[in-house]
Amino acid sequence: MKNDVLLLVLIIVSAVAVAYSIYCHIRMRQQTRKLDEMLDKAIDGSFTESCFDESQLSYIENKMWKYLSSSEISARKTAEEKAKIKTLIADISHQTKTPVSNILLYSELLSECDLSDMEKDYANRIFAQSEKLSFLITSLVKLSRLETGIIALSPKENDIAPMLRDIVVQAQAKADEKGLSLKLECGDEKAVFDEKWTNEAVWNIIDNAMKYTDNGSVKITVKEYEMFACIEISDTGRGIPEAEQAQIFSRFYRSENTSYEEGVGIGLYLARQIVSSENGYIKVMSEVGKGSTFSVFLSKL
Amino acid sequence: MAILETYNLKKIYGSGENEVHALDGVSLEVEQGEFVSIVGTSGSGKSTLLHMLGGLDRPDDGDVFVDGKDIFSLGDEELTIFRRRKIGFVFQNYNLVPSLNVYENIVLPIQLDGREPDKKYIDSIIETLGLTEKLDNLPNNLSGGQQQRVAIARALAAKPAIILADEPTGNLDSKTSQDVMGLLKITGERFSQTIVMITHNEEIAQMADRIIRIEDGKIVSGK
Repeated sequence: MKNDVLLLVLIIVSAVAVAYSIYCHIRMRQQTRKLDEMLDKAIDGSFTESCFDESQLSYIENKMWKYLSSSEISARKTAEEKAKIKTLIADISHQTKTPVSNILLYSELLSECDLSDMEKDYANRIFAQSEKLSFLITSLVKLSRLETGIIALSPKENDIAPMLRDIVVQAQAKADEKGLSLKLECGDEKAVFDEKWTNEAVWNIIDNAMKYTDNGSVKITVKEYEMFACIEISDTGRGIPEAEQAQIFSRFYRSENTSYEEGVGIGLYLARQIVSSENGYIKVMSEVGKGSTFSVFLSKL
Repeated sequence: MAILETYNLKKIYGSGENEVHALDGVSLEVEQGEFVSIVGTSGSGKSTLLHMLGGLDRPDDGDVFVDGKDIFSLGDEELTIFRRRKIGFVFQNYNLVPSLNVYENIVLPIQLDGREPDKKYIDSIIETLGLTEKLDNLPNNLSGGQQQRVAIARALAAKPAIILADEPTGNLDSKTSQDVMGLLKITGERFSQTIVMITHNEEIAQMADRIIRIEDGKIVSGK
């Protein structure tokens, strides 16, 4: 009789224990799931306070909520900060456009006046510097538009040859002036690219090639791969030291070997931004004293 | 923050007269999102280095930190799990499972880890690598370049902290190599992956943001 009672008590106790552990298990799973959901939402960027149900959350969930909402706030602040900087660049670029083109115009007019040799030289320098400034500003405007997403590229399947022929026509004058030979080898290759912007990117590279080549040639060749079509621009210029090769694509980078008169260090950066936003990439191979080859790979997909 | 850091790595094979310093005090840092190539002749120690970065081989001295974690402080089993989650490998000979189709190969490491593949992410990798139409094919029906593209997709699929590539174009002709390297670079940029690749091929090495040169177990430039 006494044993029976003991047994009954034992059974009840173990049943309670089992029930309790099942309860704990379920609760733990619920909490884990909840934490997981909160994290997923935070990663997605859709985490809001409404994900937070006060009555059910334990201390740890509460702590996590605090952490997630603070990182949400800091992410938002960084994004706002970034947007402000970009707007500033856009504003500066736009507002300076008109005065700069006026300087260009007047310095050009000035150099046509009856001036002494020295005065003429000054006027020409003003013109050359303002031309540089104008290029810098237009490039910055383009970059900020591209980076803020005001302008999106619209890549579609195009023939490469017509674009390159246009660029060569444009570049021929400068090549003649420097006594460089400019060659184009191109078949009927196609790729997926935005014609206007890619033209800009390739032009910047060809312009650079001519700028840093004092004699010899600039050669443009198109090669075909399974996934890409490649526009190769080879020059016989001064070449780029290996240590600098990766840096030349960064913003405002200019080699120590380039003099003040040349370049502003934005052309290659812009080219790279353009090409990479249409799923391509640019590669450089170069040897000091022998020349450089820039390859623009355009996606065929 | 450096996603990968090594400090004074040493590996010595043999002893006494025959002692070879495969690695002789290698310290380097790789930043998040960087694409680095390690160049050296055969026997320079580059493969030994890559194996250590991936936790496949233990150093005699020195440390490797991946994502802030000292990987050689982990036990073998923990290290295996860590490797599966944090490191994606791309090998010279692709190492695809011949009896699984392309899609199954790509999601294999995730499934081995008992996780669910992130469908949206994987679809975008597949699209970037131009594999959309090949998903049902078996590896044997693909060209070398295509197989290596599958291997890249597989390495990316688990969202690792770093991708280690060991002569990824070693078995490919130069044209296909360029294709595969281009895609590796583009996917690396698009999915902000950190890539460390070893190669003896100069042209392939040029694809990286930075080239580390290694000779006789020591870094000679690019650190």
